[in-house]
Amino acid sequence: MEKIAVWVEHRQNEIRDITFEMLGKAHQLVGDGGQVIALFLGDPSQKGLLDKITPHAHRTVAYLDSNLKDFEPLRYQAAFADIFEKVDCQLILMGQTAFGMDFAPAVAARWEIPFTTDIVDVEVDGGLIAVRQMYSGKVSAKVSLKEADKMLCTVRAGAFPAEDLPTVSGEVQEITGAVEGDFSARAFVEYLEAAVGDVDITQADVIVSVGRGIKDADNIPVAQELADALGGVVACSRPVADKKWLPKERQVGTSGKTVKPKVYIALGISGAFQHQAGMKNAGTIIAVNKDPKAPIFGIAHYGIVDDLFKVVPALTEKVKELRGWGNSDK
Amino acid sequence: MDIIVCIKRVPETAEADLVIDASKKAIDTDGLVFSINEWDNYAVEAAIQLKESVGGTITVISVGPEENNEVLRRALAMGADEALRLTDPAFEGSDAYAMAKILAAAVKDIPHDLILTGVQADDDGFGAVGVALAQMLGLPYAALVTDIQLDGETLTVHRELEGGLEEVDTLKLPALLTIQTGINEPRYVSIMGIRRVARKEIGVKGAGDLGLSEEAVGAKGSLSRIEELFFPPVGEGAEIIEGTMDEKTEALVKILKERGGIA
Amino acid sequence: MEELQQPLPERLDLFTCIQCGKCTGGCPVSIKSPLNIRRVIRETVVREDLHGFFSRLEIWDCTTCSTCAIRCPRGLKPVDAIIGLREMMVEEGRIEKTIIDALDGAYKYGNPWGRAKNKRAEWAQDLDIQNALEMDPGQILYFVCCAASYDPRVQVVAKTLVTVLKAAGVSFGILGNKEVCCGSEIRRMGEVGLFEMLMEENMKNFGKIEPATIVTTSPHCMNALKNEYEGLGSEVLHYSQFVRRLMDEGKLAFETEVPMKVTYHDPCYLGKQNGVFDEPREILTSIPGIEFIEFGRCRENSLCCEGGGGRMWMEGTNQGKRLSEVRVEDALEMGVEAIITACPFCLLTLEDAVKTTGNEEKIKIIDLMELAVMGLGKTLETEG
Ligand SMILES: Cc1cc2nc3c(=O)[nH]c(=O)nc-3n(C[C@@H](O)[C@H](O)[C@H](O)COP(=O)(O)OP(=O)(O)OC[C@H]3O[C@@H](n4cnc5c(N)ncnc54)[C@H](O)[C@@H]3O)c2cc1C
Ligand SMILES: Cc1cc2nc3c(=O)[nH]c(=O)nc-3n(C[C@H](O)[C@H](O)[C@H](O)COP(=O)(O)OP(=O)(O)OC[C@H]3O[C@@H](n4cnc5c(N)ncnc54)[C@H](O)[C@@H]3O)c2cc1C
Ligand code: SF4
Ligand code: SF4
Repeated sequence: MEKIAVWVEHRQNEIRDITFEMLGKAHQLVGDGGQVIALFLGDPSQKGLLDKITPHAHRTVAYLDSNLKDFEPLRYQAAFADIFEKVDCQLILMGQTAFGMDFAPAVAARWEIPFTTDIVDVEVDGGLIAVRQMYSGKVSAKVSLKEADKMLCTVRAGAFPAEDLPTVSGEVQEITGAVEGDFSARAFVEYLEAAVGDVDITQADVIVSVGRGIKDADNIPVAQELADALGGVVACSRPVADKKWLPKERQVGTSGKTVKPKVYIALGISGAFQHQAGMKNAGTIIAVNKDPKAPIFGIAHYGIVDDLFKVVPALTEKVKELRGWGNSDK
Repeated sequence: MDIIVCIKRVPETAEADLVIDASKKAIDTDGLVFSINEWDNYAVEAAIQLKESVGGTITVISVGPEENNEVLRRALAMGADEALRLTDPAFEGSDAYAMAKILAAAVKDIPHDLILTGVQADDDGFGAVGVALAQMLGLPYAALVTDIQLDGETLTVHRELEGGLEEVDTLKLPALLTIQTGINEPRYVSIMGIRRVARKEIGVKGAGDLGLSEEAVGAKGSLSRIEELFFPPVGEGAEIIEGTMDEKTEALVKILKERGGIA
Repeated sequence: MEELQQPLPERLDLFTCIQCGKCTGGCPVSIKSPLNIRRVIRETVVREDLHGFFSRLEIWDCTTCSTCAIRCPRGLKPVDAIIGLREMMVEEGRIEKTIIDALDGAYKYGNPWGRAKNKRAEWAQDLDIQNALEMDPGQILYFVCCAASYDPRVQVVAKTLVTVLKAAGVSFGILGNKEVCCGSEIRRMGEVGLFEMLMEENMKNFGKIEPATIVTTSPHCMNALKNEYEGLGSEVLHYSQFVRRLMDEGKLAFETEVPMKVTYHDPCYLGKQNGVFDEPREILTSIPGIEFIEFGRCRENSLCCEGGGGRMWMEGTNQGKRLSEVRVEDALEMGVEAIITACPFCLLTLEDAVKTTGNEEKIKIIDLMELAVMGLGKTLETEG
């Protein structure tokens, strides 16, 4: 595969991490001599964002139109239609994100581009074989795409590393667009920050859950800090809710909430049956517990047998480091 | 307001030990418990709540074999008015794109102001049918919807973005929404409720009835194909991470990154 | 199904209530919950429309302990009014998520925890127990219970009961993965249709083997099978009754000294609702070394542990101290080393209360069969 286009995802004037992850994979797939093309749709005022992209793409196609500041699928599609022919590539990568899930299937359907979604790996060997997970990650599938000039895949966030991106001297092709048409059938209004204190643990992708091992209400911030760094929320076992260290709405289990996050980190939770029932279907379960015989290790995928008060601060530090504090999406 | 909800019947696999069948392209579903796709349950509830506030009808549609009547009946017991099942040997091997074509052909004949699908299916999880369907029908749409307000011909919806952020959009009817879990609290459907609709008729249509050629659907009408299923390597019980504190946390960070733990 | 059509007051004869309040007076949750059973009865009688109840979460505080029914001078069953209201809420579909999950689990998997059907008999894997479905008619069937099948803590109880039965030379079988929830809790959560479905499923299997006697782990299963399974020809016994009989028949004697000061907590479904008070006491006092003292509140006046009536899946509105915690503290004051009980729910709620009150070092919760195994000089499995 010689030419791969990566859709630059940005929101609220920040490039989203997934973009770099896709750029990394694209470089790996095209190899030497291939071309990685970055596709950027945005408002002229957002041009500065390109500085982070252009060093990592052989070519950047930037379609700038004052109406493209925020994502509106109908308008974005019209803009994409303007440049679709100009982007010479065999594969387009988009994120399997709130953006990609709203946009990619429509683009694929409109241009009949063979596509698949939420991939965690992709091999190009003759044809294209994408690897994706099914049945909540219990089974993986190899999916092939019908042969065509262009193909499209959406990529799971975190599937590929964003570090060590090759730096290339890329050219920028700016297109000052003027997307025509009436797109009021779907219009962007505003962003809403989730209200603070109004945490719905059933909707979280990442849960840091504490049990009696947290010892005291004063120690909750230890878990909260890790959750903040990960972009997750704090939940708990029943005794913690009983003692009112956390509100009842945060309790996981048969008499609390049933959760299904991508990652569930159990800190100082023994893993009683009633607790397990509420979290056993989490994608990945990580347990930190002093007691190697704690039942939680029976259903966890990964475990650390150690004092949570040693592990958690160290982990939080590492995650913060990785995030480089501030250049990420929150 | 006339609403169509697309619902899928899926196996529940969280508790089960899955077996890949001889074709290597599907799992052995013997002994698995099936139910309505979780997202679609929220979609049906959303439709009922809209109907309760502004009136209208709800039609539920499912593509699949006779067993799918189960989920259609359940939706009827919940409050849907009509149910339609689409089935044809030609549909087999359909990917999300072909699935959307089948649904598009069916909804064309049914009056609708709003179409609801789930964000994604519990089993295959392509998360693509709803948006592809909207595109085929030329309808404005929004994916990952967590709130719906109706004001005349305009919908104001919230979409769930990453990291607790939401987006507010307006849409003009007719439109399509893919519904995210948590948008409401789906009501319980009692066994007696299901028994009461046991004799209600469920319409059935095949490719011919929908004016779909065999080439348009199934494997032939698809853009992708499942080649092989395999089990990702996992061990029994937890893999205990050993080493110095630094090594342990380093390993954890790597796992977190791979498993979507850094949102 | 017919019954439901009839308004609640008619169906339960509630018009004859004299509003004496004896029910509320004995209700264990009334001190800590807005639930006032006397008033509920009154309201169901005077109100045209019972929908007002639907938003009242305290309806789910009732543990269906049946103290009210025992105390009512008019012979009414006030608890059935609660269940009737729950039935209406279930019909409307407006119930709490945890209850929905429990009902869904029972519907799909035959157990309210939604655990896999084919793992139901995993606990018995290495125990060499007969498949009851291959037994001749007229034998003994051990009906295990969902909690004993899936909850590691209660699995220990099932295993100890098996040990006891084998020690007495009893030939018995289990339905294995074919057993489904008895439906007792399901019915009390108001899902009559599902209860009937589960009952039919179990009855189908009972019919195949026509057991002479069915022995249960749980008083809740015992109560359902004995009093609610219509047309069941078998004798239904809680294990305490059965083991007591084995002692009478000279098949079982406890000879190993168990020096321990204990008290006994009466499970509501065993004691209050089925009058089985003596057998458990007789079993435990026959074990040498046991020093037994009664709770102040015992037998008919025993304090409910709050584990029944769907409360395993619904915390209830009550903010006050859990009754199980009261029970544990009472026992500590009495200076006993262990509370013995004979019901999976009591075992779980009391043991949890030991934890939440931070008394793990001071007191243990032991099932009667675990104690029996000690009395037989066998080892007690503590690791679940
Ligand atoms: C025998 C067999 C062979 C298959 N072969 C392939 C294959 O070769 N390639 C492939 O990609 N897939 C294959 N599939 C799976 C395929 O048919 C998927 O159902 C399809 O790709 C749609 O994806 P999804 O179910 O993940 O839908 P998603 O896009 O995740 O679902 C979103 C929403 O679409 C709606 N929806 C989805 N399916 C239905 C339905 N059946 N009825 C009504 N509404 C529905 C629901 O509202 C759902 O919430 C096969 C399935 C079978 C049974
Ligand atoms: C009817 C009923 C309903 C229930 N519903 C629920 C429910 O919905 N949800 C629920 O969670 N529980 C529920 N329970 C309670 C459940 O049975 C357990 O008691 C509870 O889950 C235990 O909580 P825990 O794991 O936090 O505490 P414990 O079991 O006390 O475990 C604490 C753990 O922390 C570890 N630890 C201690 N210090 C450290 C340290 N410094 N570093 C690392 N590890 C440490 C210990 O090794 C231990 O494993 C219910 C019980 C009943 C009876
Ligand atoms: S059954 Fe028990 S808890 Fe329920 S109302 Fe009667 S006395 Fe109170
Ligand atoms: S005890 Fe019986 S008669 Fe007295 S108030 Fe209660 S239900 Fe009525």
